[in-house]
Amino acid sequence: MISKIINMAEKMKDAEDRLLESMFHSEPIADDGFSSRIVTRIRRRMWLRRLALPIAMFVGGSIAIKPLAQLSVAVSKLLTVMPVELLETPVAWIPQPQYVVVGAMLLAAAMLGLRMLEE
Amino acid sequence: MEKEDQYLVALAVGSQDTAAFGELIRRHQSQVRNFLRKLSGDIFVADDLSQECFLHAWDKLQTYSGHGSFIGWLLKVAYTTFLQSKRKSKRYAEVIGEAAYVAQTESRSYTEDSNEVSDLDKLLAVLTEEERAVMIMSYACGLSHREIGEATGMPVGTIKSVIFRGKEKIRTRFDIKDHQHG
Repeated sequence: MISKIINMAEKMKDAEDRLLESMFHSEPIADDGFSSRIVTRIRRRMWLRRLALPIAMFVGGSIAIKPLAQLSVAVSKLLTVMPVELLETPVAWIPQPQYVVVGAMLLAAAMLGLRMLEE
Repeated sequence: MEKEDQYLVALAVGSQDTAAFGELIRRHQSQVRNFLRKLSGDIFVADDLSQECFLHAWDKLQTYSGHGSFIGWLLKVAYTTFLQSKRKSKRYAEVIGEAAYVAQTESRSYTEDSNEVSDLDKLLAVLTEEERAVMIMSYACGLSHREIGEATGMPVGTIKSVIFRGKEKIRTRFDIKDHQHG
């Protein structure tokens, strides 16, 4: 009730208010493709955001391939000097370095494909 | 209209429906662009800001609670976008500076017919930035005092005194009251 009274009081405009309204008045601006330009920008941004993670993974993976391979070689050399009994079980669990790299790339590609399908 | 806006907002937020948001832009772009044109005094700056405003609105759409009008919320985003860009932009200061200079040297009475953009710019230039935003929201966009309060983050009492102060300045500088009675 009180808010209705306040609204009514606000609407009781004097001549000065009406004059100011006419001075501030301007014709509506035609859309002329404005909204579609923004929607296009939003869609592009959404698409880029969805691609960002797979691309980052792919780039990061590509950069990390060489050090990872060197690390794997170093680890495998280290394993050769360790006692056989100690190595027997864990060695069977460690995949070959090339399989790790291929696996990571396949994972990244699969994620990228899923994102594209989703889009 | 309000319910339709809220339905479109729900669609846009719930299912990331850009078409629904596009419809919201089509409905309100004119008011937002007019608001920013009057506030910045530059059509091109205002249209860039309007685009930024709608992009921000898309990012923050889930923060619209549904209380109050959507255009009120949108003008809040527009005003924030304007304030943020103003801090970065020197061009704004130049445009307003020029308009203020013209207003000082060319003070004159206004008629009801003289509502061209340049005249309005001169009129707005005598107001502070806060007064300008509040006056535009009130007289150009037709927002209620409560809606202006929500958009600017000021209490309703402050909005009323800002409008009073703005009217007083315009009245003194541009002789509106004399014209009105004469």
